[in-house]
Parts: sequence; C-alpha cells; structure tokens
Amino acid sequence: MSLSRLQTATDILKARTRAYEAQAYRAHRGMALGDASEARPLPLGASAVDHCLDGGLACGGLHEVRSPLARDIGAATGFALGLAARAIEAGRSGRSGIVWISGPATRVDGGGLFPAGLAQYGLDPSLITIVEPGDLQGAMWAADEAAGCNGLAALIFQIKGNPGRFDITATRRLMLRARQSGVLALTLRQSGEEEASAAATRWRVNTEISGADDILERGVGAMRLLLTLERNRAGRTGQWLLAWNPKDRSFHHAAPHPASRSKPPAHSLDRLPASADRPGAPGQMGQVLDRRQDFGRAS
Amino acid sequence: MHRARWGKSWIAGRILDAHPDAPPVVVTDTVRNAIRIVALDKRARARGIKLNQTLSDARALVPGLDCHPADDEANRALLLKIAGWCERYTPLVALSSDPASERDHGLFMDITGCAHLLGGEEALVADLEARLRAQGFHVRLCLADTPGAAWAMARYGQERIIAEGAHGDAVLPLTLSGLRLPPDMVASLGRVGLKTVGCIAGLPRAPLAARFGARLMQRLDQALGREAEAISPIMPVAELSTERRFAEPVTHQDEISHVIAALAAGIIEPLERRGLGLRRCRLKLFRVDGHVSELGVQTARPLRDARMIARLFAERIAGLHDDLDAGFGFDLIRLDVVHADPFEGAQTEMMAHQAAGQGHDALVDRLGARLGLDRVQRFVLAETHIPERSFGRQPVAHLGAPGPGARRSAAGNAALALAPEAAGEIITRPLILFDRPELMQTIAEVPDGPPLRFRWRGVSYEVARSEGPERIACEWWRDGRGARTRDYFRVEDRQGYRFWMFRHGLYGRETSEPAWYMHGLFA
Repeated sequence: MSLSRLQTATDILKARTRAYEAQAYRAHRGMALGDASEARPLPLGASAVDHCLDGGLACGGLHEVRSPLARDIGAATGFALGLAARAIEAGRSGRSGIVWISGPATRVDGGGLFPAGLAQYGLDPSLITIVEPGDLQGAMWAADEAAGCNGLAALIFQIKGNPGRFDITATRRLMLRARQSGVLALTLRQSGEEEASAAATRWRVNTEISGADDILERGVGAMRLLLTLERNRAGRTGQWLLAWNPKDRSFHHAAPHPASRSKPPAHSLDRLPASADRPGAPGQMGQVLDRRQDFGRAS
Repeated sequence: MHRARWGKSWIAGRILDAHPDAPPVVVTDTVRNAIRIVALDKRARARGIKLNQTLSDARALVPGLDCHPADDEANRALLLKIAGWCERYTPLVALSSDPASERDHGLFMDITGCAHLLGGEEALVADLEARLRAQGFHVRLCLADTPGAAWAMARYGQERIIAEGAHGDAVLPLTLSGLRLPPDMVASLGRVGLKTVGCIAGLPRAPLAARFGARLMQRLDQALGREAEAISPIMPVAELSTERRFAEPVTHQDEISHVIAALAAGIIEPLERRGLGLRRCRLKLFRVDGHVSELGVQTARPLRDARMIARLFAERIAGLHDDLDAGFGFDLIRLDVVHADPFEGAQTEMMAHQAAGQGHDALVDRLGARLGLDRVQRFVLAETHIPERSFGRQPVAHLGAPGPGARRSAAGNAALALAPEAAGEIITRPLILFDRPELMQTIAEVPDGPPLRFRWRGVSYEVARSEGPERIACEWWRDGRGARTRDYFRVEDRQGYRFWMFRHGLYGRETSEPAWYMHGLFA
C-alpha cells in the first residue's frame, strides 16, 4: 500500500473516530435519538425564525406544512419547495434530489407542479422525482421508503385533508426513518386541520398581500407568506411575515403591508399544540362545505 | 394441437365427457361462403360428421348438434399461453401458421442445446406430451432436424422422433400438403399426378419452379434441410437465464423469496464475467397446472447486487393487486435477464458513506417495482410556449440515469438542458399549473384590459393588482387556423392570492366574447 493511500485511510479512520466521539457526546447529553451524523440544522435565512428554532430546522426529521384553506395551497407549496431548495443548497454530502409524493386525493383539484415556475422559483426541475401512487397506502409506503433513503435531500409528501390512516403511528415511523437517514421530510397538508402527529414542527401558511411596488403601481409584487409555527417540539412557537428570494434561495423578513388583514405580533406568540380530538375541534373533512370560505371542491 | 382449435369451447367439451347422452360438439366457421365445421369432438365423429362439412349437412345427420362459432382471438390467446408455457423447455418458441387459413395453428420449438437438461430428446418429448395431455390438450408433435420436416411429420406422419439426418427420407412418402403449401398449389400439383414429396424431390427443379413458383422449391428445400430456416421466437431471448426445477412444487411466499434470492445470486457471476449490469429482468413462475406468471422489474442503473434484485422482486410481488396465486405450487421458477448494460466498474469507497440499497437510484427502482414504472416520473421539457405543452412527465425508468449528471449523459433527455436556469426576482410563471385550464366568469376591460372581478370554483374574487397581458400565440401548425391567441395575466386579489389566468381569443379579431380561463396558482 502506498504512503498516500495509507494516509487517506488514516484520515478516514480519524474522521470516523471523531464522528463516533461526537455521537457519544450527543448521546450523553440526551440529544441524539438516531445517528444524526449531519445534525447541522437548516436555517431558513430569516433571523427571527432561525433564532426561534435554535439555528434552523432539524434536517433529519419530519415537519408538517399545512394550509387551512385549499386556496392557500400555492403559498404552502411555495414554502415547502423553498425549504427543499434550501436543503439542496446546503449541499450535504452525496445528497441531491427531491422526491415529491402526492397522495391520490390531491390530484382531484387538477393541479401539478410546473417546471418553468419551479425554475423561476430557484429549483432545478430535473432534480424532482414525482411519485403518484394509486392509493394512500402506496403513498405512505413510498414516503417511508423515501424517508429512509440516504441519497435524498428532501421529501415532500402531499396529502389532502386528514385521512385517518395517516395517523400518529405513521408520522412517527416517518420521523424515525427521516432522523436516521437525515432526509428533510415534509408533509404538505392541503386544507387539513391540526391533528396530533410526531412531526418536529408544524407550520401553517397563509397567503399575504404582496409588497407594494413603487415602480409599478398596480403591479404584483413579490410573494409573501404569513407563517405560523403552530407547534415546535423543541421550544417556542411564533408568527412571522416572510418573503422568498429565488436568487439566493432564502427566506427573509418582510414588512407588513398597510392594508394587511392580519398584523403579525411584535413578539412571537406562544401556543399550545392542539390535539385533534379536543372538544370544539373542527369536524371531519367533508362535513363542512362553506363555499364562501374556500374554493375547494372536495374540502 | 387439436384442442387449441377449440378456443373457449374446449372446457365445454370436457364437461360433456361426463354426460354420454349430451349432443356432439362442433366448432363452425365460414369457409368458402358456407358455414362449415372446422373442429369436432369424438362423439360427433362417431355420428358421421366430418371436417369441412357444411353445418346444414351436419344438422341433417344430427339435429341436436351443439355448435359454437370459431373464436380466432380466443384460439390465438390460448395458443400464446401454451407457447408461454412451452418456454419451460426452450426460450425459442415460435408460432406456425396454417397455410390454408393463414391463422396461427401450431408451435415451433427449437430445442437445440436444451434436450440434455431434461435427460435427452425422448425424455423431453415424452414430458412435453404428457404434461400437455394432463392439461386437457390433444397434441401431435414431432422432433426433426428442420422445422419443415417437423411440421410435416407432426401433421401427416406417424413417428414422433426422427433420428438425426433421417428427416429427408422420412418426409418423402408424405403428401404434398406437408410442405406448407397453399391448398390450390397442392391441388394443381395433384392434377399433374404429383401427390407426394417423393414425387417432386427427384424432378428437375427449373421446370417445376417455372410452373409452380419458387415457393414450392423453397418449401421443399426447407423440409429437406437444403435451405436454412429461422424461426422467430415470440419472446425476445434473454441474454442470461437461470432456473430451478422442483420435484415438490413450492407454494409459500417465503420459499419463493428464497428461490428468487438464490437465482439472483446465480446470475451475478456470469454478469461479472461479461462486464454487464442488469437493467431489466423478468421472473417466470410455472405453475403445475400450466399457468405461467410473469413479473418484470427494471432498474435505473446497471445493477449487479443479488440482494437488491431480490428486494426489487419482493417489492414487485408486494405491489401486486392480488397476491401471487400459487395454486398447487410452482414447479419451475426462472429468472431471465432481458436487458443488460455495460457495468461501470465504480469502485466502492473504503468507508462507503451510502449503505448498499440506500441511494437515490435504488429508491427509484424500488418505487417503480412496487407502484408501477409509470408512477415514478421526472420532468422533460419541450420547445413550445404553450404552457401545458411545454413539459411532460416521463417514467424515470425510461430516462436513464437520474440526478444532475443525467443532463449531460442522457442523450434521450436533451430537452432538460433547456430548463431555464436563471432564477430572477421577477416571477412570471406559477408553481402550480392546472392540467386543463378552468373556465370562469370574468368582468374585464374591453378590448384587452386586465380582469377586474372574476368568479372561479364558486367563489368571487376582486382583483387588486394585475400584470399583463403576456401574449402567447397559438400554434397554427398544430391546432389549425381557428386556434385562438392567449393573453396571460398575473393577478392578485384583495386578500393576496395570486393567480395566472388568460383571455382566450383577441377581442374583435378572433372572437366577440372572449372566454377567461384559470391556469395556475402562484406561491
């Protein structure tokens, strides 16, 4: 064996030892629940949010993004894709590609990802693999498989409403697999209620009036999201107004528009996680059909 | 193969065997402008009915005749099923057609190099015949050196196995119909007194060919082995295949998985020797009652890992809508490598970061095996400005290697290189596009102003801001002259929802009442 190869082997062994030591340290502190070899969190780019999250989203783990109304799906998709783009941008070793799994009910509305839009949004469409299983069971299986895949940057599992089969056990399984493999797993829930799940965080996304553009008086400005961190296992929750910058693929804080319908509070607001079967919880999917509230056909 | 001609009705024939007083069964078809009998059972034959008799004559003999019209489709399907089953003996199974009706009528099997696996030619023929008889078929078969001789001897001869080199003498006494000639040629040869193969074999060739056509000489040469004849197998012949036969049929899923794992392990070494990696393979499970199940898997990259192959098949079986019906068990399981590509000998890293079977390609393979290949897709772009035509989604399995490197390497996916890379501040295309634009009611400025108010999916929206129009002309070379121009607008309503909509048709020039469609949602 030549000297250089020996050197490389030694280096690798050293690196491995360091990794083991770091892992043991984390285990000692009671932090490591899997071999989170890439435990570096994924910052969103907006300082207040990152501060609230202690540096960013935990990369290997399950996070839920939901849009309460069906028409907010555009904003929620934008937020989830933004996170996925950041996960790719973080460029962790050997990870590329996003798997987009859409549950069978989500196609009913007839919308699909548009590559030209993705490219303008800062995502390379060729990195996305779309999986469309015929039933929810297949979709959940596909999500499980993808969550356990080491070579993946992010997984987005799009579901509609609150199907009974995608319960806390299923989310816990997803969470564990994602934590072991280090995949950023996101469930994108369209017109779903809050329900108990094993996800590390739950985000509610609302559309917000776009920023006024000085040049074009009636022009459409950059997109804005009213982002509510409804649930955070690791700590505080909050609400922020964010905008997405496709060029450097990061979120940043945006100033509220004067005509905005809801003003985010100056300080983050603390909320307790709500359980799905609490008294006074909204009814099951399909029971409430208020067309003034929502355009969804099936919601 | 007599039963093969019976199509769907052979089951009825079987049931009737139990009732001696049931009426005879015949199969009829229109031949030469009359309904004639093309197949009949033993009982009908005993009552004096003959092949090619008209149905009215037969009815006169036996008034209560049970007749069924011939079903070519069913016959062919049955023959193909038998052919699939025959692949347990050799991969080279071809259909042979009847010269009179041009319908597929029998099977050719090339057993060169296969007989020793079953203990010799006699054993193979006996096994084939016994198994087909057990399935309820009447078979006539013959083994000879040339397809032509085997065809003739199976139909008009007595012997079942012609010794090597003896086929020439064996066919000489046979009638000329044995040469796979059209019936009118046989008839005209008969008129000049040429009735057997032996009659023409010794005659001068040139006058015969001049009078009856080169086809006669070709068929004669093919039967006698003077001219080579290739049969075209129904299924593409596998590059490699490995199989296991069982004295005791296997039924349990676990046993089958073990067998698959063992078979997969068996093909790795030959693949390595050839420097190939597996891309597509199929598993054939031969059930004892003659049913053959076939399962196929594809991989995105050349694969040479037995565990991965076994796992893909496990997913494939798990993804079947109904379980693999083992019935009374499988007595032969075969793994065929249908397609293999050169294996790029990627040296495994010393401390492999990615455990085997965990990478992106392996994931795509597994998803495709379980959910179906066409459910795992990737974008391909096309050169058009019409949004819904500007992209398509192709199964990953057909695209070649995935990932960013694919755009350079995969020649078939050159379109992806056209992906607009530059992400700018201005977003003009939505994230979500509807498959079909949705018609909506809109109040807009005439002739080409932006929408002011619109109603979509039962909800009214008031437009607060809008940008446009972005005019996309129709593709007249595809849609014809009447196709309309689209004026796209980006629209934001008072609550901040952003839509992509278009006016279909130019006011005044193309239409007097342009319709409005919703086409996408922005983030």
